[in-house]
Amino acid sequence: MSPHELSLFFVLLSINVYTFEGSIVVDLNLALANKQESVSSPGHSAVNSPVFKPVVDSLQSLNLLSSFPEDPAISEYCSELLHVFGQRYVTYVNCLVPAARPVKVCQNCYSSYGSLVAIYTNISSDQMSPGNVSCKRSLLRSDRLMLVYQMYSDLEDLWEKSDCSHCITDAYRSLTNDTMFFMTTLNQTLTCFEKYKQGNHTELCKSCKGTYKGLNDLYSRMEKEQTLCIDIEDAMNMTRILWSKGFNCSFPREETVPVIAVSSFMLFLPIIFYLSSFLHSEQKKRKLIHPKRAKSYATLMNIQDKQS
Amino acid sequence: MKLFTRAFWSVELAEVAMANITKKVSWSSRTDESGVASEGTPLLNGAEQPRHSRQLSGGGSIFQIGRLSTVDLEEEITTEEDSLRGRLKEIPHNEKLLSLKYESLDYDNIENQLFLEEERRMSFMSFRCLEISRWVICGLIGFLTGLIACFIDIVVEQLAGIKYQVIKENIVKFTEVGGLSISLILWAVLNSSFVMVGAIMVAFFEPIAAGSGIPQIKCYLNGVKIPRVVRLKTLLVKVCGVICSVVGGLAVGKEGPMIHSGAVVAAGVSQGRSTSLKRDFKIFEYFRRDTEKRDFVSAGAAAGVSAAFGAPVGGVLFSLEEGASFWNQMLTWRIFFASMISTFTLNFFLSIYHNKPGDLSNPGLINFGRFESESMEYNLYEIPLFIAMGAVGGLLGALFNVLNYWLTIFRIRYVHRPCLQVMEAMLVAAVTATVAFTMIYFSDDCQPLGPDHTEEYPLQLFCADGEYNSMATAFFNTPERSVRSLFHNQPGTYNPLTLGVFTLTYFFLACWTYGLSVSAGVFIPSLLIGAAWGRLCGILLASITSTGSTWADPGKYALIGAAAQLGGIVRMTLSLTVIMVEATGNVTYGLPIMLVLMTAKIVGDYFQEGLYDIHIKLQSVPFLHWDAPATSHWLTAREVMSSPVTCLNRIEKVGTIVDTLSNTSTNHNGFPVVVRVSDNDEPAKLCGLILRSQLIVLLKHKVFVELAQSRLTQRKLQLKDFRDAYPRFPPIQSIHVSQDERECMMDLTEFMNTTPYTVPQETSLPRVFKLFRALGLRHLVVVEDNRVVGLVTRKDLARYHQGRHGLEELQLAQT
Repeated sequence: MSPHELSLFFVLLSINVYTFEGSIVVDLNLALANKQESVSSPGHSAVNSPVFKPVVDSLQSLNLLSSFPEDPAISEYCSELLHVFGQRYVTYVNCLVPAARPVKVCQNCYSSYGSLVAIYTNISSDQMSPGNVSCKRSLLRSDRLMLVYQMYSDLEDLWEKSDCSHCITDAYRSLTNDTMFFMTTLNQTLTCFEKYKQGNHTELCKSCKGTYKGLNDLYSRMEKEQTLCIDIEDAMNMTRILWSKGFNCSFPREETVPVIAVSSFMLFLPIIFYLSSFLHSEQKKRKLIHPKRAKSYATLMNIQDKQS
Repeated sequence: MKLFTRAFWSVELAEVAMANITKKVSWSSRTDESGVASEGTPLLNGAEQPRHSRQLSGGGSIFQIGRLSTVDLEEEITTEEDSLRGRLKEIPHNEKLLSLKYESLDYDNIENQLFLEEERRMSFMSFRCLEISRWVICGLIGFLTGLIACFIDIVVEQLAGIKYQVIKENIVKFTEVGGLSISLILWAVLNSSFVMVGAIMVAFFEPIAAGSGIPQIKCYLNGVKIPRVVRLKTLLVKVCGVICSVVGGLAVGKEGPMIHSGAVVAAGVSQGRSTSLKRDFKIFEYFRRDTEKRDFVSAGAAAGVSAAFGAPVGGVLFSLEEGASFWNQMLTWRIFFASMISTFTLNFFLSIYHNKPGDLSNPGLINFGRFESESMEYNLYEIPLFIAMGAVGGLLGALFNVLNYWLTIFRIRYVHRPCLQVMEAMLVAAVTATVAFTMIYFSDDCQPLGPDHTEEYPLQLFCADGEYNSMATAFFNTPERSVRSLFHNQPGTYNPLTLGVFTLTYFFLACWTYGLSVSAGVFIPSLLIGAAWGRLCGILLASITSTGSTWADPGKYALIGAAAQLGGIVRMTLSLTVIMVEATGNVTYGLPIMLVLMTAKIVGDYFQEGLYDIHIKLQSVPFLHWDAPATSHWLTAREVMSSPVTCLNRIEKVGTIVDTLSNTSTNHNGFPVVVRVSDNDEPAKLCGLILRSQLIVLLKHKVFVELAQSRLTQRKLQLKDFRDAYPRFPPIQSIHVSQDERECMMDLTEFMNTTPYTVPQETSLPRVFKLFRALGLRHLVVVEDNRVVGLVTRKDLARYHQGRHGLEELQLAQT
C-alpha cells in the first residue's frame, strides 16, 4: 500500500472518531475498490456498514471519501483507543474552560489530564496491539496533519506552561501537601478580608496583616523551592492586588524627611571637599624646560613673525 | 618698543626670506593683516606670549635681542639661556605641555655588527622556530587574557551579588519598620569601602593603573614608552581595582581595563620572564626588544577588546586603528588568532561557571543579548531618525568631554595627593549610592514582576505587592545588566519620566567618575546613558505615531542611542562599529550603527576631541597623530630639530661618556657618533647612532679598549647581553666607574647603528613626520653634507599642534 493511500486512510480513520458508531458511506474509486475486495474482512465491513448519521448529510463532501480496505482487527483496536482518547480529551477541555478565570486549571482538572495522559501513553507506546501492528505508527504519524499528536501536544504545552506538575503528585493522584496548605492559608486570609471588608480598611490592614504575611512568606518559600503552579500564582496575585490596591495596605512613604536630610548631607560633602582642596591644596605647577634649538636666527624669525 | 623692533624685523625679513618664497608670502600676509591688534591672538607661540611680555619687564627679552642683533646672536642667546635655566618658569598644568618623562620606543631595528653576526649565525630552522614561537605566544596571550576576563567577571558577579543581597534585605526590613535612611547609609558605606580599597591600590601603589587604560595603550601603540604601563604590578592593581570599582557601584564598566590587562599580559608573556618577580624562564629571548614587544602588545590589546565585547574582529581593528602606523600583514593574522583564542577561552570557562560546559554562547564580558526578533528589524525610513540620534549622541558626547576636561584639569592641579584622590573616589561612590537611592525612593514607577525575572534584585519598596520599582532595575544593578535590560525588556517596562531622570543623573555621575584614580572604563556608562535616552526616543516615537508600536521597538532605539552616545564620547570609528555589530550579533545593524557613529563623530569633533585624546593631551604625552598639522609645510627640519647635538666620537673616552650620560639637564637617549668632534663648533661627520641603553650596558660590562688588550680572553659582548638588560636598564648613577677607568677609551664601532636615518635641513615637517610615523623612528639625524647639525625626536614633532587658531606650539615641561 503506497504511503499516500495509507495517509488517506488515516485521515478517514480520524474522521471516524466523530462518527464512530455508524460510518460514512463513501464511494471508492475503482482501483481502490479492487483492492478492497482482495483484502475484505469482517471488521472492515463493519466500519463500512451503511448506517447514516444526520451530520453526514450536511457534509456532502464526505461522500467522496470512503474507508480503505485495511486489516480490520488492528484498526479496530486502534480506533477503540482513538475513541477513548477523544472522550477524555473532551472531558479535559470541558474542565479547563470554566477553570480559566480565576485560574483553577490545576486543582480542578488534574485527574482528567491524568487519564488523558494515560490513554495517550497507551497510543504512543511501542507495544504491539493484538494484531501485531503498532497504533503509534498508524494513529500518530501517518499523515501530514498528525491530528492526534498535535491536539495532544497543544494540551501538553498548556500543562507545561501552567507548571501544574509542581502542584500535583506524581501519578496525577492528588494535590501536593504544599498546595493544600497554601489553599488553606489563602482561605484563611480571604475569610479575614471578608470579615473586615466593611468599615475602615486600616482596621483590615492591621488585623489581617498576620495571615497575609504568613501567606506571602509561604508563597516566597514556595517560589524559592519552585513548587508554584499557575493556580497558586494567580491566587496570590489576586490577593496581593486586593491587599495593595483594593485595601491600600502597602507601606506608605513616610520617612521623606530623614532620607532627604541624609542625602543632602551626602551631596554636600563633595562640595566641601572640592572647595577645601581648591583653597588649601597647593596648585600643581609645571616647570618649563627650554629645549636646545638651532641658533640660526631663522627659527626666531619665524616664530617672531607668527607672533607679530 | 614693539613698533621699533618690528621695523628691524621686517628689514631682516626681507633679507632672509629670499631663500624661501612661500615663506615670504605667508609672512607678508601675516604682517599685513595682524598689525598691532594681534597682541592677544594666540598664534604659533600663543602659549608663550604672555611669558615673553613678562620677560620684557624683567629686563631684556630673548626675542628683543634676537631681533635687534644680527651679529652677536649666538652669544646673546647663550646668556639668555643661562638666565632662563637659573629660574625655571612655573606654570599651572594645562593641555599645552609635553612631558619630559615620556620617551619613544625603539621600534627601529639597531643594525649594528653584533646584529649582523647573530643573523649570520642563525640557521633557516631557527627562523622557522621563531615564527612558530610567535604563534605560540599569541595563543598564550589570548588564553591568559580570556582567563583574566573570566576571573573579573565571576568575582564581580559574586561580590556584587552579595552586596545587593545585603542591601536588599536591609531595605526590605526597613521599608516595613521604618528607618530607610539607615539603608541609604549602609549602601553608601558599602560602596565607599569597596571603592576605597580600589582607590588606595591605584593611588598609592600604581597610579598608571587609573582609568580605563585605553589612552595609555593607545600611546604605547603609537610608540610612546609610558613608564610602568606594562608591568605585572600594574596588571594586578588593574584587575583588583576594576573589581572594586564595579562592585563599589560606581558608574563604570570593566571593559576598558580589559584592554589594558590584555596588553600587559602580552608584554609579559612575550618576554618569557618577569622582572618584577625576578624569574627568567629562558624562553623567547629573541623577543626582548621594543620592536617585537610592541607587536605583541597590539595582539594583547586586541585580545582584551575581544574578551571584553566578544568581538574578535573588532579587537583586531582596534589594534589596527590605534597602532596603524608600522603594521604588517602577517601580524594581523596572528593578532586575529590571539583575539579568537581569547574570546573562546572566556566563553569556555564561563560556560563551565554557568554549569553548561561546552555551551559557547557567552562570547564577551558584556553581552548585548540577541537582536533577532521581528520587531528589531529596521526600515529605510528609520535611517534619518538614526542619523538624528547620532547627532544628538555627538552633542551629548561633546558635552560630556568638555565637562570631563575641566574636571580633569582641576583634578591634576588640585587633587594630586594620593590621600585626596582616595577621598574623592570614596565621595563619588557615596554620592552615587545616595543619588541612586533617592531616585529609587521617590520613583513612582512600579511594574509587575515578569514571569522570567530578568531583574536580578527587584526592589519593591512602596510598590504594590508583586510589583517592583522600575527605577531600581536601572540603578540597583551592575551597569552591564542595566544595559541589557534597557535593550531587551518589553516595551512598557520603563516609563518615560524614569528614563529621562535616569539619563540625566547617570550622565553627570559617569562624567564625574571618569578620571578618578580608580581603574574603570567608560564604555559601559556611555552605553548605559545612550541606551536610556535611546529607549526614551523609541517610546516617544511610538507614542506620537499611532501605528508606532509596530515598528518603534524601544530596544532597537536603545541600541542606536547607545552606539551614538559611545561614539560621541570616545570617537572611535571603524573598530567601534565592528565591535558594536559583533556584540549585538546581528550584521544587519552594520549600516545604521556605522551611520550613527559617523554622525556622532562629525558632530562631536566640531566641538571637542574624543575623551581618550583629551586625556592623552592632559597627560602631556608626545603623541603623534595620523598626519602632521595641516598648515605646517613651511616648517623645515632646521626649525624643528634640537641643536646643537651632543655627539660622541667613534672612540670615546669613558669619562666623557659617563659625564654626558649623567648630565641631568640634558637627558638624551640617542647620540650620533661622529668621526671626530672638532674643537671649534664645526659640525662633524656622522658615522652612526648609539643609544643610552647600549652605552649603559657597555659601561656595565666595561668594554674598554685597554681592558680588551690586556685580557685577551675577555668574552665578546653579544646581543644577548643587551637583551638581558632589557627593558629596565640601570640608571647611570648605579654604574660605578673608577677614576682610572675614566681615562680608558671605548670603541663604539661595533655597537652603533651604522646607518641611522638622516634628512637634510630643508626637509619639511610633514615629511619628517611621515618618516616617524611610518618607520616608528626614535631619532632622526639632520645632516648637512653628512655633518650632524641637529637631531629630531618625537617631542620635537609632537609639539606642533593644530589649534583652533592655526598652528600652536606646545611647551616642554617637567612633570
